[in-house]
Amino acid sequence: MLELIDVHTYYGNIQALKGINLSVSPGEVVTLIGSNGAGKTTTLRTIQGLLRPRQGKVLFEDRELNVVSTEEIVRLGIAQSPEGRMIFPRMTVLENLEMGAFQRRDSTGIKTDMEHVFSLFPRLKERISQKGGTLSGGEQQMLAIGRALMARPRLLLLDEPSMGLAPMLVSQIFSIIQEISAEGMTILLVEQNARMALTVANRGYVLQTGEIVLSGDAKELQVNETVRKAYLGEE
Amino acid sequence: MQNVLKALRANLILGGVAAFTVLLFGGWSGSMIGWLLGTAVGYLDTHEQSIPHPKVGLRIGAINGFALGLWVAAASLVEGLILRPLSGQAIVPLPQDLLHAVVGLAVTTVAAALMGAMQGLPRRRSKLAHQTTHGSLSRRQGTLLILAAILLFFPFADRMAQTGWIATVIQVLIFAMLALGLNIPVGYAGLLDLGYAAFFAIGAYTTGMLSSPHLGIEWNFWLVIWIAAAVAAVAGLILGSPTLPLRGDYLAIVTLGFGEIVPIVFRNLTEIRIVEPISSLFATLLNRPELAICLVGCEQPFNLTNGETGINPIGRPWLPFIGSFSSTNYLPWYYLVLLLVIFSMFMINRLRNSRLGRAWTAIREDELAASSMGINRVNVKLLAFAMGATFSGFAGAFYASYITAIFPSVFDFSVSVIILCMVILGGLGNMIGVLLGCVIIMSADRLYLPQFAQVLKGFLNTTVLPNIANPALRDFLAISVDPIQMRLFLFGLVLVVMMIVRPEGLVPNSRRRAELHSEDVVANESLADVRSVG
Ligand SMILES: Nc1ncnc2c1ncn2[C@@H]1O[C@H](COP(=O)(O)OP(=O)(O)O)[C@@H](O)[C@H]1O
Ligand SMILES: [Mg+2]
Repeated sequence: MLELIDVHTYYGNIQALKGINLSVSPGEVVTLIGSNGAGKTTTLRTIQGLLRPRQGKVLFEDRELNVVSTEEIVRLGIAQSPEGRMIFPRMTVLENLEMGAFQRRDSTGIKTDMEHVFSLFPRLKERISQKGGTLSGGEQQMLAIGRALMARPRLLLLDEPSMGLAPMLVSQIFSIIQEISAEGMTILLVEQNARMALTVANRGYVLQTGEIVLSGDAKELQVNETVRKAYLGEE
Repeated sequence: MQNVLKALRANLILGGVAAFTVLLFGGWSGSMIGWLLGTAVGYLDTHEQSIPHPKVGLRIGAINGFALGLWVAAASLVEGLILRPLSGQAIVPLPQDLLHAVVGLAVTTVAAALMGAMQGLPRRRSKLAHQTTHGSLSRRQGTLLILAAILLFFPFADRMAQTGWIATVIQVLIFAMLALGLNIPVGYAGLLDLGYAAFFAIGAYTTGMLSSPHLGIEWNFWLVIWIAAAVAAVAGLILGSPTLPLRGDYLAIVTLGFGEIVPIVFRNLTEIRIVEPISSLFATLLNRPELAICLVGCEQPFNLTNGETGINPIGRPWLPFIGSFSSTNYLPWYYLVLLLVIFSMFMINRLRNSRLGRAWTAIREDELAASSMGINRVNVKLLAFAMGATFSGFAGAFYASYITAIFPSVFDFSVSVIILCMVILGGLGNMIGVLLGCVIIMSADRLYLPQFAQVLKGFLNTTVLPNIANPALRDFLAISVDPIQMRLFLFGLVLVVMMIVRPEGLVPNSRRRAELHSEDVVANESLADVRSVG
């Protein structure tokens, strides 16, 4: 469904991605784990066309995305819940969700998707007319994921949904991710919290300073020596 | 209790304004200001309560209007009996003063009562409305009806009362269009534009060039105004494009630069001679200047804008029955600019609620998040500049044809700043607030200040100076007490006070309020987190 072939991305002269190869098949949950500054966010931005690779290709359903605009990429079905949530703080929950559907014009479809998001996140429905900026961290994360779902994507990119949340909330968010995946959504999940990420994912990639150093089945990665030492904090 | 306090405060502020107006202008101005502010009081004191019946609203309005009217009446008497003799103006006989006072009081009370009554109408027109005693108007319709009546009859009332405010009101409306336009990039899209007068200049100069004998093109105003708006819009696109990668402070500086460049360009486009570049290159290489092919301004350099002297005269609109608009009759000008303002409000409101309007809000809130929603940052920002510029194009066209002469110095930096102040004073992003800011700043600047200066001068000359023995002190006072010279000082003072007392503007946009009082937001957030974890 999604394929990155030898992707190199730069910020000015700083090379952030040094030849990434990665693929996601329909229905899968794939996780990309790595420590701070490894290039995970950069990878997601490159997929959505917010950054352009200097070398290599991004393919979505065999279509090359390198020259496709972000609007078009969103329309093709790639939505993102960005790192640090980035909700619109002075818009209400409802307006935030509507912004997620910005590229869509089917108002009946939008309405049913809104109901669906509210069934996934009943908390959001309770706070429907509250300003995004006044939500708690966990609620903001739910809003960011819900907003991405409002684009009715076929591939959902999640950038560190557990960031800065209390442990209880983290497991709540991850169970919702599992729920979304169970409904058939394809998900690329970026995480520093490797333990949680590997429990919900089918496959995983380990990113280190812009390079994929390990990849494989999530179960295998969970027991891999290097992963356990570096990312699961075990001896 | 709170309502009473609120009403008292409104009465105090508006009463002060009304009394000040009467003291300055005298005569029937009490009835005029009583009419306008009485309507305001009738609205302010009732619209937040739920008034069950027009009769209740009528009573509340009448009481508050009467209280305001007392200010007017008292000020009328003080003006006629004390201030006039002291400031050396012609004395008005006592019965006349009493008449001014009583009529002022009556008009104020009636205006407030009428507006109050409208606030007692049902919120929505019910299906059974015509069977009830409430009539078939809804509250909103009633309020709008009164506003429409005021706008429609203002020129006649102004003529009857001999206040002579109409010329200023036309200026106010021109600036209203500008402020509404600037509110698009600044208020909606969050792009600080310090050079907005450039687009006003472009609209005005386009009109000047296309409808004056200066270039020999004298097209019809009704055509030129659209061209001016289109040219301003294109200029908005062009001037907006280099600012795209910039944010905040940098954007402000670049727009400031444009605001400076445009009048200078118009000042200097007086000797244009364009030579075809390739032949000109050969001519220089071969050192034979006659080889260069001249395209424009060959005999004599082409004078496009006439420099500092400006373009004059500029054609005026023409309509059947009315004929060509004249400089002595303000009526057609007034209704034309009023129509333009209402048209602008309508269009901007449509824009605001469109997809584009939502995209503006989104990029203002968070640019990166907005782009990841699939909003094209570039287009959305450019359109904010272009749409904002369009309305200043209309304003520029009207202005040029109304004044019939334009000079580059009219469009300098201070104009951009004043328009920006209107937008900020009134409340960024709120149309009503922006209009209010415009009315307050413009009337203070163009109406009250000159009149105040005049009355003050009369007062000095009649009452103060003859009683001062020391000639040096007398000369000093005669020269230095001049509010017109303190104009910018007073203006700055008002802004500083405003920013301290009410940073969100007079009628704030609800989002902005949240932004400016963000401590509350942060506190709420941490509380909410505690709640959700616990
Ligand atoms: N806007 C930027 N400008 C320059 N360098 C950046 C920018 N954003 C990220 N980087 C650099 O790119 C690298 C990868 O960053 P990022 O993708 O954000 O990592 P991660 O999401 O894995 O924490 C880091 O070295 C970071 O410093
Ligand atoms: Mg990151």
